[in-house]
Amino acid sequence: MLPWNYGFHFTTGPIIFMGIFYTVLVIVATTVISAVLRSRRAMREHHTEHIRWHSEFDDLTTPARLCRYALTGEMPGRICPNGFDCRHCDVRAHLVAKLPEAQPAEAVVVVAGMAFPTDRLYHRGHTWVKQEADGTVTVGVDEVAKLILGAPDKIDLPHVGRQLRLNGVAWSVSKGRTTARVLAPLDGKVVAHGGPADNWRLRIRPTDADMSHLLTANEIRPWVTREIQRLHVALAAVGVQTEPGQQHRPDIAANHPDADLDAVCAHMFLHR
Amino acid sequence: MDKDFIARGMQRCSTGKFLLWLFPWVALLIFGVYSAALCLIKGLNQTNMDNRFAFGAWIFLDLTVIALGAGAFFTGFLLYILKMKELKAVINSAVVIGFVCYSGAVVVLAVDVGQPLRAWFTFWYPNVHSMLTEVTFCISCYLMVLLIEYIPIVLKNRKLREIPSMLVFEHELHKLIYVLAAVGTFLSFFHQGSLGGLYGVLRGRPFAFREHLGIWPSTFFLFILSAAAVGPSFILLTTWLVEKISRKKLVPPEALRLLGRVSGMLLSVYVLLKCVDTLIWMNRTSMVRGFVPAQYYAFEPFGEWVLFAELVLFGIVPAAILLVPKLREKTGWLVSAAAMACCGVALNRFVQTIQTMALPTLSFDKFLMYTPSWQEIGAFLMVVAYGVLVYSFSFRYFELFPQERQLRIESAAAKPQHETAVGGR
Repeated sequence: MLPWNYGFHFTTGPIIFMGIFYTVLVIVATTVISAVLRSRRAMREHHTEHIRWHSEFDDLTTPARLCRYALTGEMPGRICPNGFDCRHCDVRAHLVAKLPEAQPAEAVVVVAGMAFPTDRLYHRGHTWVKQEADGTVTVGVDEVAKLILGAPDKIDLPHVGRQLRLNGVAWSVSKGRTTARVLAPLDGKVVAHGGPADNWRLRIRPTDADMSHLLTANEIRPWVTREIQRLHVALAAVGVQTEPGQQHRPDIAANHPDADLDAVCAHMFLHR
Repeated sequence: MDKDFIARGMQRCSTGKFLLWLFPWVALLIFGVYSAALCLIKGLNQTNMDNRFAFGAWIFLDLTVIALGAGAFFTGFLLYILKMKELKAVINSAVVIGFVCYSGAVVVLAVDVGQPLRAWFTFWYPNVHSMLTEVTFCISCYLMVLLIEYIPIVLKNRKLREIPSMLVFEHELHKLIYVLAAVGTFLSFFHQGSLGGLYGVLRGRPFAFREHLGIWPSTFFLFILSAAAVGPSFILLTTWLVEKISRKKLVPPEALRLLGRVSGMLLSVYVLLKCVDTLIWMNRTSMVRGFVPAQYYAFEPFGEWVLFAELVLFGIVPAAILLVPKLREKTGWLVSAAAMACCGVALNRFVQTIQTMALPTLSFDKFLMYTPSWQEIGAFLMVVAYGVLVYSFSFRYFELFPQERQLRIESAAAKPQHETAVGGR
């Protein structure tokens, strides 16, 4: 059957069979080798965080992947095709040209008792970014994140000098048995850590001045309203429910130590 | 204890309950390994097969398992080549089922063939005139493809994803999975066909012999079509079973209905062609060889009921049910029809293997009945236990149903929710 086999003859049948058999083997081997080589290249070029985000973004639930314009009602039901990176989104460019953004009327947007200052930009993974005078930005977690985790037991911050990638892991927090990864809201190098008295966790020098992927003042209310609904559903799915009219007390992790808040954190902080 | 290995948002039973579930299957596996070891060490005298009955329970069950395992290649083909996105919900489960079916079939074949130390002979000294050569090559290659397709599912495990190289390799391999899906489809078509062709070329056994189209007997095409038809039904059936056992919603109903619709369409074509083939066989092929078809059905228990059950009860009836949208909407009808379709393919493989061997072909031959020995049954139960164990571990630690998390959230959202009441500052 094979050229080196006992009894092999160069006739049509064995040649066709052998040709097909070897072609299949070559295709399978090439596929695997190609995957290995592409992986090596991706690792060398530090694309791990980018890959992690895009792989996890595809696995997020549909409400979690809604486009910012679906939240504001301009494009109902639209799912973001860009992994929340609006910087190269044609739809956004078109809408911005058509409807220039109005200046925020209020300094703080209050939703369900939580305050969101409008002097900063917000990332869908519940971090905010505030531009500082020296060209750096400070990054902290928003009120929804604090509502879920309260004061964390442990925070693993990236070391100073580390390059963060947009939507890669910025830092991780632990509370009881729950661990959550907080996503980086932009590309940049870590220049300082926030102390216990600071409101922020990281000071970053951005490597890309374009922050158009972050949510602005006018988008805060619809986004947070939707996030609170998502939080309610995620908590109900793990058996944490409130009676009608009641409110979840801040620091849900501490108030419900037996609940599977890992799942809730993954749902709300946009990771698996 | 093993919580860190279970994906976030997936509810699984406690470790104790899981071990309790595993216990009977491990016991069965041990019994099966003992039976198979007896066959391998002492030889085929441990079975009730002989020179006349060379194909017994193992070959019948192997062919059935391989036909049912076709769901893996066909679901992959529908998803990655024909872009039926709804089937993303079941593709991982289909790959695991395919892997279990094919690896199990190869293990049983290894016990049946015996002499495992000489297994490589089949590749080194192949018989160029045997359909089994093509089957051996294609099944070996396809098992390798299934193993590669299984890798991304394993690498998506929560702990393994924390290792960057695993995460990246899984992503890159998954991007190329359509190539493997196409190769798998090609290989499956050929070996399913060759397994059917194996019977269609038996000139000495007029019950199995069929007319040829080109170099292939009609059974070559019927086996391909029947496997493609029942593969989706088996995926549907197993998914429903897993949902019932785990008491969880795992896939959206549309995915199951689509599997049912595809299965119904292919099953209709198959049954139609099978009826045409049977008519040609009865009125021409068999008669030319001096056999009146009624002779084949004169030996109990293989009466005409076998033909009726295969063509009508487990062929036309499930095809009709699966083709009617209103019946597909109802889970009871959908699952029953899928189960009937699977029984149909099992009966077809039984008839092709056991009835073919049992019927006399020469004037001095007698009708021969065969009952498998406990070692034969044990060896096959080993594969069943192995399959359940691999699937159970995969279900617990890997994401076999990617939409499970979303369905869980949606079912929580569907419960009456009160007004947004979060914050309380």
